Amino acid sequence: MTLLAGAGIGVLETGEQGFDAAERDLWVTSGETRITSAGGGGFENTLYNSRNLSAEMEAHEDVQHAIPLAFDTVYVSTNHSDEFHTFVATGVPGGGPVVQITEGEGIQGDTHYANGTYEGEMTREVVIDKETADSLNISTGDTVNIGGSLAAARQNQFTIVGISPTFERMLGTPTVTMPLSELHQVTGTTQTEPATFITITIEDGASVNTVQKDLEEAYPEYEIRTNQEQLSAVLQEQVLLLAAAGALVLLAIGSGIALTISLLSLVIHQQRQTFAALTAQGISRSLLVSTVIGQGFIIGLIGGAIGILLTVPAVSIFNRLAAAIVGFEGLLQTAPWIYGTGLGIAVVVGTIAAATAGWRISRTPPLELLH
Amino acid sequence: MAGAVTSIKDIDSSSPIVTARNVTKIYKRGSEPGLIGRILGRSEPPTVHAVDSVSLEISSGEIVGLAGSSGSGKSTLLHLLSGLEQPTAGTVSFQGTDLTTLSARERTRHRLENIGIVFQRFHLLDSLSARANVALPLVELGVPKSERRKRATELLERIGLEDRITHRPGELSGGEQQRVAIARALITDPALVIADEPTGELDTETGRTILEEFKQVAENRTIVLASHDQETLEICDRVIQLRDGAIANRRTQEIRP
Repeated sequence: MTLLAGAGIGVLETGEQGFDAAERDLWVTSGETRITSAGGGGFENTLYNSRNLSAEMEAHEDVQHAIPLAFDTVYVSTNHSDEFHTFVATGVPGGGPVVQITEGEGIQGDTHYANGTYEGEMTREVVIDKETADSLNISTGDTVNIGGSLAAARQNQFTIVGISPTFERMLGTPTVTMPLSELHQVTGTTQTEPATFITITIEDGASVNTVQKDLEEAYPEYEIRTNQEQLSAVLQEQVLLLAAAGALVLLAIGSGIALTISLLSLVIHQQRQTFAALTAQGISRSLLVSTVIGQGFIIGLIGGAIGILLTVPAVSIFNRLAAAIVGFEGLLQTAPWIYGTGLGIAVVVGTIAAATAGWRISRTPPLELLH
Repeated sequence: MAGAVTSIKDIDSSSPIVTARNVTKIYKRGSEPGLIGRILGRSEPPTVHAVDSVSLEISSGEIVGLAGSSGSGKSTLLHLLSGLEQPTAGTVSFQGTDLTTLSARERTRHRLENIGIVFQRFHLLDSLSARANVALPLVELGVPKSERRKRATELLERIGLEDRITHRPGELSGGEQQRVAIARALITDPALVIADEPTGELDTETGRTILEEFKQVAENRTIVLASHDQETLEICDRVIQLRDGAIANRRTQEIRP
């Protein structure tokens, strides 16, 4: 139960940290922000004409930057293989501090988009994450082919200039980060310029709420949200996912309670003749039930403590697995209150189950059990 | 082991601690027919006379054995003498008090204060130490904790378990567990101790040792002991032979010189 609760908290915290890490104040979307099932994951690009729109928004006096961000599924192959893999490509207008580089360099601008056209020179530079590098056995300086179709991929070669964990952590899947214009080019979407979000950074000292309100009035057809609102919107649209997670937590609690009741009923049942013998000797029902409750309390306490002790290494193991497999670090986060709640439930359920079983046995005439 | 055969009337009845008069206990085999069962002509379930018109007196300080084969009524008679069960007919008196007039709660209190019970199985609580098991009846009597510990420790020392006081039942041998059960039966200083096949779960040698210790630690208390084992019955002052719920020939056998 503590593990499942930790997973739930971890998902929310990781998601919030992902949005916070992007260091943006507002997120502009068009319609629902769906997580796509195509390819390796990411979001659907439902915000069109993103470059013009972001330029208009950037004209607001309190907006420092309005930057479109696109996630699209692309084919990737290495120059020493004809095998293509699908990855999520992240299109960003430029590098900067938003993309954390752990090895090599970041992307040096978005030169392909020049003066409203796609006639500028392509940088043909990409940044990948460590998991992509490991899975394809490539590193900085190697070249890869990338495209929205196999044909496009065969024609477009890019050089890996750096390693970055930023978007792998945000999306939870291996990613290839490249200039936005070049992503639109290789996916054949330069006409519509789709983006998943437009992220807005406001001027220092400006009010996020004021800018949000202004933009909402100016662009009523778009959703404009803060970090927290955007995370909530993404999660709220995953009703099935959340329902499944909630069902798992309820199932864990329910099965935990059922197991505890069964275990204690069994423990008490095995002692039924002893309780009958004690009743025969004149021990009252209340003392017997108290004794049984004491047993249930101790069993619940020991069981809860063992569960908490096992949770600590289990969280560590699961977090390492999650980091290795999907790229999320700290996916399971166990706050002290989760441990406290788990222990509390174990003790309360253990005590109540023991009291119920003890009461039932105390109601049975001793000779029925002693014969 | 041989002794003079006497009539039950020969026993000193000047201070009987337990008296049974024409005690009968009838059990029904199966359930009563319901209304529909009666309409359909279902007959009453057959009955069994577990104890049949037994009269006896047990004097203070006596060790009395109830002998007989399985199903002869030994255990049922023990239950009736201790107030665990109510007779179908007849009366059982303890030091002049008619147990058949007492409520279930009053009989429970009576057993707690006046009677110690030793079972064939030890029936110790696994989660408690030997001392805590022994002291449990004192909790019911409201004895302070320090006094409970003192009395339980002394009793366990007397019965040879001084180095097993804090051990749990799972850490004790069968003989040691039965010693703990005997100590628990004696901790309230009862006037009457009943023992139902107290050595039934033990090997012969251990059983004999336990019985000797039981007799010593019981110190002139009245003991009623049911067993089908002649060796066990050797510690008794007299033995009452039961057959089909009745006293066979209504005679007792003097065993102890």
